[in-house]
Amino acid sequence: MRNVLTIARREFFAYFGSPVAYIAIAVFLVLLGVTFFFEIPFLLPKDDFFEAREATLRPLFEWMVFLFTIILPAISMRLLAEERRMGTLELLLTLPVTETEVVAGKFLGALGFLGIATGLTLAYPLLVAVLGNPDPGPIVGGYFGVLLVGAAYLAVGLLASAWTGSQITAFLVAILICAAFTFVDRLPEAVGLRQMEAANLMSFNAHFRSIARGVIDTRDVVFFLTVIVGAVALASHSLESRKWR
Amino acid sequence: MIEVQNLVKDYGPIRALGGVSFSVQRGEVVGFLGPNGAGKTTCMKIVTGFIAATSGSVTVDGKDVVEDGVEVRRRIGYLPENAPVYPDMTVREYLAFVAGVRGITKADIARRLNDVALRVGIVNVLDQEIGTLSKGYRQRTGLAQAMIHDPEILILDEPTSGLDPNQIVEIRALIKDLGKDRTVILSTHNLPEVTATCNRILLIHRGRLVANGTPGSISAAHGGNNNFLVEVDVREGARPPADLLARLPGVKSVLPADRPGAAGEPLRVEATGDADLRPAIFDLAVKSGWALLELRRERLDLETIFQRLTQS
Repeated sequence: MRNVLTIARREFFAYFGSPVAYIAIAVFLVLLGVTFFFEIPFLLPKDDFFEAREATLRPLFEWMVFLFTIILPAISMRLLAEERRMGTLELLLTLPVTETEVVAGKFLGALGFLGIATGLTLAYPLLVAVLGNPDPGPIVGGYFGVLLVGAAYLAVGLLASAWTGSQITAFLVAILICAAFTFVDRLPEAVGLRQMEAANLMSFNAHFRSIARGVIDTRDVVFFLTVIVGAVALASHSLESRKWR
Repeated sequence: MIEVQNLVKDYGPIRALGGVSFSVQRGEVVGFLGPNGAGKTTCMKIVTGFIAATSGSVTVDGKDVVEDGVEVRRRIGYLPENAPVYPDMTVREYLAFVAGVRGITKADIARRLNDVALRVGIVNVLDQEIGTLSKGYRQRTGLAQAMIHDPEILILDEPTSGLDPNQIVEIRALIKDLGKDRTVILSTHNLPEVTATCNRILLIHRGRLVANGTPGSISAAHGGNNNFLVEVDVREGARPPADLLARLPGVKSVLPADRPGAAGEPLRVEATGDADLRPAIFDLAVKSGWALLELRRERLDLETIFQRLTQS
C-alpha cells in the first residue's frame, strides 16, 4: 500500500511540478466562469445570473461534467503512455510492485488533480450562499456526483493510456469513450425514439443527474464504482498482458 | 543462485531466444556478450520480470520470476538499456522515489542515497534535473537507482554505453568492486569490457548460447591458440616452403596467410597439438635456405573467436 502512495505522490507532483496542471485548471475555471455568468443565465428565467434570483448550482455541475470530458482525458493521457514512450515503464515494472499497484498509484495521483480542480470551484457555492439561501442537498449531491463522474473519466483515461504509447491517441480515445457513455441517454431522443431504459442505465449523465438531485441512491454510486474499478482493473490487465507479446 | 532453463521468446513470428540455459552462482560477475540483436536484452528483461518467456523458466534462489515476481524483483537491482529516467525530476527526487517504491523507510532513504551517490560519483549533481545531465551522469544515476536497496543481484544492460573512455574505466572499476560481494550480470557487445570486469562469459548469438566459460576456457575450447605465422623469402632454386612445412611433424595444415604488403611469402601453419613448432620451423628454414622474415606464434585471441562464433 505504501508503494501505491509513493507512486501516487510522484504522479501528483509531476502534474503540479510542470505547467500542465496549472494550464488545465486555468482552462477549466475560465470556461466554467464564462458559462456560469454568461451562458447559464439564458437557461434560467431571467437573463442574468444576478437577476435570475435562483439559488441553484445545477447548471454549473452540468457544465463541469461537460468540461471534464475534455479536461480529464488531457490529464490522464500521459499516465502510462508517457512511461511506455520514455522507457521508464521498464524501470517501474521491474521494481517490486504489481501492475495493479502501479495503475492504482497512477489513478490516485490523477484523482489528486481532480480534487484540487473541483475544490477550486467551491467559490460558486459560497457566492450562491452569500446571495441567497440555497438548498444544501443538491449542492453536496452535485459535488459528490461530479467527483464520481470525474473519477470514472480518469479511470477510463488511464485505461486508454495503457493501450498505447501515444499520448494523443490516449487523449482522443478517452474523450470518445467518456463522451459516448456520458451522452448515450440522449441518443434515443436524438433519433426520434422514446426514452430507453438501457440507454439511461449506461449513461454517466443519467446516473450523475440522479445523484445531483441530492438524493443519493446506492445504485448510482455502485454504477460509478463499478466503472472505476473495472477500468482500473482492465488497465492493470492490459499492462500485464503486454509481457507475453 | 540464478537458474535459466531452456528460455524461448518469440516476438510474433520472430524468435529472439531459441532455448537458452545457464546458471549463475552467488558472487559471480557474468558477462553477456554478443552482437546487437543477439538476445542479450531480451534475456535480461525476462530475468527481471519485465517480459515473460514464451517457454522455459527462470528461478532466483528457487523462486520463479513469474510466480514470485515481486519477491524476485526485491532481490534484483536492474539498470535497463539506455538507463530510463524521469527527466523532470532531480537526481535526489528520482532516487528517493525508487527507494520509496522499494519500501525503504524515510530515515534509511537519506542514508542509502548518500552512500550510493558517493559510490557512483553523482554527489555534485544530486539536486540537478536529470533532463539537464550529460549521458555519463544519467547512466550513473541509473546505476545508483539499481543499487539503492543494496541488492544481492545486479543486472546491468550495457552499463557503459554512451560513456567516454575515462568514464568507461571508472564504471568498470566500480562494477568490479561491486562484484566482490554480490552477483552481477552485465551485457555488452564490447569484448574488452567483459575481459576487464567478468570472471565468466556467456556468448550469445542469434538467440542461442554459443560459448560459456572463462575467457581462458573459451579460448582453449575454440581454437587453438597454436598457430604460427611464417613469412619467408624464398631464394631462386629453393624448394617451395608450403610442401616442406606441411611435412614437419605436428603440423596439421599450411595455408597462405593474408598479409597485405608482405615482402616474402606469408603462410599460416596450424599445429595439431600444443607444441611450440618455432624451433622446428626455424631449423627447416635454415636447412632449406629461406630467409626468415617473420616467425611468430599466433594466439587466437577472444576477438577472433568471438568473430568466428558470431559469423554464420
